[in-house]
Amino acid sequence: MKPLNRIAVTGLNSPHGIRLVERLLSRGPNLRVIGLDLQRPLRLAGKIDFHALDLTSPTADVVLAERLAAEGVDVLVHMAFRSSPTPDIEEDHELETIGSLHVMNAAAAAKLPRLVVSSTTMLYGARPDNPNYLSESHALRGHPDAHCVQNRVEVENLLADWSARNTATEVTILRSGWVIGPSRGDYVSRFFEAPVIPTVLGFDPLLQLLHEDDLLDVYEESILHSHPGIWNVVGREARPLSTLVALGGKRRLALPSPLLYRMTDFASIEQTGDRPAGFFDYLRYLWVADGESAWAEFGSPLYSTQEAWSSFVASRRG
Amino acid sequence: MTTNDHRSHPENVIPMPSREEDIELDAESLDTLREALDDLRREIRLRVPEEGLRDQSPWDAGSDLDIVGLVDGLRKRLATLGMRERGVEVDDFGLDEELVKRAGPVLDWMQSSYWRIDVAGLEHLPSSSPALFVSNRAGILPWDGLMLAHVIRNQAPRFERPRPMLADWLVTLPFVQAFAARMGGVRACRENADRLLRTGRSVIAFPEGAKGATKTFRERYRLKRFGRGGVVRAAIENRVPIVPVGLVGPEEAHPVLFKSHRAARWIGLPFLPITPTFPLMGPLGAIPLPTKWIMVFGEPITPPALTDPATEALAISQANAALRERIQALVDVGLDRRDSVWD
Repeated sequence: MKPLNRIAVTGLNSPHGIRLVERLLSRGPNLRVIGLDLQRPLRLAGKIDFHALDLTSPTADVVLAERLAAEGVDVLVHMAFRSSPTPDIEEDHELETIGSLHVMNAAAAAKLPRLVVSSTTMLYGARPDNPNYLSESHALRGHPDAHCVQNRVEVENLLADWSARNTATEVTILRSGWVIGPSRGDYVSRFFEAPVIPTVLGFDPLLQLLHEDDLLDVYEESILHSHPGIWNVVGREARPLSTLVALGGKRRLALPSPLLYRMTDFASIEQTGDRPAGFFDYLRYLWVADGESAWAEFGSPLYSTQEAWSSFVASRRG
Repeated sequence: MTTNDHRSHPENVIPMPSREEDIELDAESLDTLREALDDLRREIRLRVPEEGLRDQSPWDAGSDLDIVGLVDGLRKRLATLGMRERGVEVDDFGLDEELVKRAGPVLDWMQSSYWRIDVAGLEHLPSSSPALFVSNRAGILPWDGLMLAHVIRNQAPRFERPRPMLADWLVTLPFVQAFAARMGGVRACRENADRLLRTGRSVIAFPEGAKGATKTFRERYRLKRFGRGGVVRAAIENRVPIVPVGLVGPEEAHPVLFKSHRAARWIGLPFLPITPTFPLMGPLGAIPLPTKWIMVFGEPITPPALTDPATEALAISQANAALRERIQALVDVGLDRRDSVWD
């Protein structure tokens, strides 16, 4: 096997993407990273080859296929997904679902050796009839109201078909749970940094939180070495929501579900909310994923759920 | 030396608690630090690179790698050092030992004074843990599972607190879900049962399922169909004995006179039980009646070994039907021991 040296990343212009690329670059002088996104990440200027790519454009697949073939890319990391949903449901669908389709088309045409795709355990859906631990083989039932979740369920379904047909490409799917950390600015971190946390009255599910550094560890390892398959990348030792809130010195505002859901519906109609619709179901029912096989493959996360939470709270204090 | 350290992100420099009262370097904190160092040693051993690209990492020349691990672990511990740590002990299924301990005296009182539970057949309990307890059930709220778990834990401490399995719709009820989970209740499904049994924890199953919970008073102590044999299959695949339990009493604690489906759909429940006290007395109607309870443990059953895939389904169905009859017989024994519903 020839040594890995060309890594392409779609959608790298995010805090997570930039930190990931910085880590990869520190791993070896021969590694080249080809960045693909709408905008050039300034922090990586001069360190990577950047090419502007709009995955929603109709010819994105052709352009990407040419690029992958010309550069001789060994691994393509696909993480061009919204970190928080936008009110423009159609545009989100174009980017997340159709964009991923373009990536798959291009990967097939370029005979890509390895594809790493970002996914999330939110795709299992938060439901009262979930088992306490969702394994990777559990059905992706999503959430009917959350378009960003449904888009990515579709992506995974397309990807399953695609990889059955394109067996030459090794596919790694990393389903991460909620990730928090000092540099994250998505809706999860914004929700939990508030001093008062609205919750659903009468419900107190176990939650898993993963520290951003642990997520980076897994991404890095899955890019540098071959780890085909689907992996639940989640934090150790799930904790009840109420415990986390109390531990963080925050207060819980428990509202009856009809009231809470109506209020958040209003917020999303008014386009002031950036959380996915149905967000509070994820604070109501269980959606804890079984991370054991990923821990065995990639190593156990450094931070437990509680430790990730404590370090997150401490980092936002001051 | 650490200029190449990807982890020293500007925002990540050791975040210390800013509030004064949180910083107390007492003996406990020092213990935490000592623990941290032990953790570190373990982490470093786990994280030493083996082969491949990691060999090119700039930290490989010498002991720098340890510094990275050390920095990581210390940062983690320092970031969490000042945080209050209380009430955090729940297990992987959400059971809160502290709450269970506090509820102990209340449950003791309910066992001896409220329901005056007579326990028979304790000598049948298997000598080794875990086991799969199977019982009949009726009533809306899972009192039977709660008390059964309490009695088994008290009478036979070798069983780690058994986990009663809860019907799906119970999990959708506010407060019930949260409380039941802290007390050890787990949603009834094969994945949960397998995980518990695999890790040495006993399970209490009520295979009548929702059909059992919605039994009306007229149908009391007449066991409904036992699901589709999932209980038997779980026992076979996890190689655990089945302990049949006949429960007399709880089926009258919430006597359902009849069920209303239309009103139930309106408020989003599977059905609305009409009991002598509910909904007439409002929330007070949720208090169970102080009926006399009898718990009869039967001889453990070792489920048949599955040899022939062709007849597997049939064997399970047979064992399932036999199990149902066993429990029906135990219930009948219990009914005979009792003079009336109240004593």
